[in-house]
Amino acid sequence: MRTTWRSKAAIYVVLTLFALTFLAPLAYILINSFKPANEIFRVPQALLPDRATIENYGAIFEGGFGGFFTTTLFITVAGVLIVAVLSSLAGYGFARFRFPGSNVLLFAIIATLTIPLVIFLVPMFIMENSVGLINTKLGLLLPNVAVALPFAILIMRSQFLAIPEEVEESAIVDGAGVFRRWWSIMLPIARNGVVLVVIMTAYEIWGEYTMAKALAIDPSAMPLSVGLTLLKGEVWQYGVLAAIIVVAVLPPVLVFLIFQRHIVAGVAQGAIKG
Amino acid sequence: MPNGGPAVAIMRGGRLRGTASGTVPPGASRRAGRGRGRWIGVAFILPALAFIFVFMLYPLVSSGYMSVTEYNFVYDDAPVFIGLDNYINAFHDPQFLTSLKNTFVFGVFYFVAIMIISLGLALLLFQRLRFNAFFRSAIFVPIVVPLSLAGLIFLWILQPNYGLLNTFLTQVLHAPSLAQPWLSQGWTAMASIIVLALWANVGFVTILFLAGLQSLSPEILEAAEVDGAGGLRKVWNVILPNLRETYFITGTWAIIHALKVFVEPMVMTDGGPGTSTLVLYQQVYQTAFTYFDMGYASAMGYILGFVILLLVILNFVVTRVSSRKAG
Repeated sequence: MRTTWRSKAAIYVVLTLFALTFLAPLAYILINSFKPANEIFRVPQALLPDRATIENYGAIFEGGFGGFFTTTLFITVAGVLIVAVLSSLAGYGFARFRFPGSNVLLFAIIATLTIPLVIFLVPMFIMENSVGLINTKLGLLLPNVAVALPFAILIMRSQFLAIPEEVEESAIVDGAGVFRRWWSIMLPIARNGVVLVVIMTAYEIWGEYTMAKALAIDPSAMPLSVGLTLLKGEVWQYGVLAAIIVVAVLPPVLVFLIFQRHIVAGVAQGAIKG
Repeated sequence: MPNGGPAVAIMRGGRLRGTASGTVPPGASRRAGRGRGRWIGVAFILPALAFIFVFMLYPLVSSGYMSVTEYNFVYDDAPVFIGLDNYINAFHDPQFLTSLKNTFVFGVFYFVAIMIISLGLALLLFQRLRFNAFFRSAIFVPIVVPLSLAGLIFLWILQPNYGLLNTFLTQVLHAPSLAQPWLSQGWTAMASIIVLALWANVGFVTILFLAGLQSLSPEILEAAEVDGAGGLRKVWNVILPNLRETYFITGTWAIIHALKVFVEPMVMTDGGPGTSTLVLYQQVYQTAFTYFDMGYASAMGYILGFVILLLVILNFVVTRVSSRKAG
């Protein structure tokens, strides 16, 4: 069994190297966020700070970065709520009803997933500009909802399809209306799908960069994903930048660690059915 | 269930009669598609459809129209129809051709690397291992890090004087000759962008490959127990050919993402040094939002869309044809 032992050891070595490589950037930014300014630029570099400090985190509040956070938080929370409701409705509609053109419509929605966002972006910009939505939170929220919907609808549709028709039949006999069946019978059974939609959409909007870069030109209107990139040239603020990045990355990472099993299973299932 | 009063009682009565008089037995699935019921489905879909229509389907058509017009958003009052001139001009525009070439260079290296690394990692993570949960978390977690912020982190890591990579090369490996000004040389800048894209996305494709492995039948899976050279051969001969369905999914995903590369060069290099990392998506973006040449930008966007479509179809044909040959 020597070969088995050896190949097992090789697998452990390879996986450990990969794991460390993947974690290194996150660990690096976390460590640097506790370094005072003079240590960040010192050559030769030390891995750990000589004198760990939390002054960088304090400076977040003084630096006026609150605006980036509120914008991102607003579009994420509002966007997730709207996407969750609309995709549960539409997913149910596609799973349980056939009407003329429903298959074409479903195909069109799937097809939008392959189209590069940049094609939508020019008309989006012109449209938002004509109604004064550029540089507003609403102007960021609405297209984010639209872009997140197709995938969310596919997830919810497959969730509803997986529920046997018999479950609903008894409710029909009881006389429950269609909206009531959706709300009090189907939706609770499909709650795993809703959780998945909520998490995936939250990630998507929290980190969305491409649309925000075009639709929020004024720094005061920018979300985190775009606003922080303005700081990349301002070297004197690197410690603070590290601290903000940590604060901005922490929520998605924590959610991931808590729901990992769920997310991984959902992604895998969504990919196969979609 | 709360009592709904007389109105609900009437509705209930009507429903009951309707069901009783219908010829469709309970349990059959046709009832929803009949009569008035089918339009209720439209009502469920309508709100979502409104969003998709306004922000995706209409822009798709509008952009298609603009692509055959001359339309500078700042100077022109309205788009002027010029036929296919934008498309023809694009292929005589050295900047566009450079961005096209760069996109393909990025795409080829990224595609090959992400498929091989992700498949390899999936095969390793599929083994019964101690610390498997830790390995999985570590490899999957970059998926949820906002890409533009990951770009900022990589910018810092690659900084020549105090960045992590050069520090590691000189102070830990004692190989200062390997230290580079990574982002100021053409090919290392391109490599840096590819590495960031891999770091961010390998976890996702690994999940897709793991799902593919999970869906294999137990007989095939028994061959997956890697035990020395014989085991490896079994993986090569038995497991890999049976993952065709998964290659189609991961391949499609990787093609689309490779050609849509944007955030990585935007945050890390701005297309530089020179135009050595300028990609197609960036070229469209700058034409639209720096020069406001909306007609030309739309045409280039459509070219990108066509290239993606073409490669996705090609991928479909290749995976299907080869699976028929094997089957």
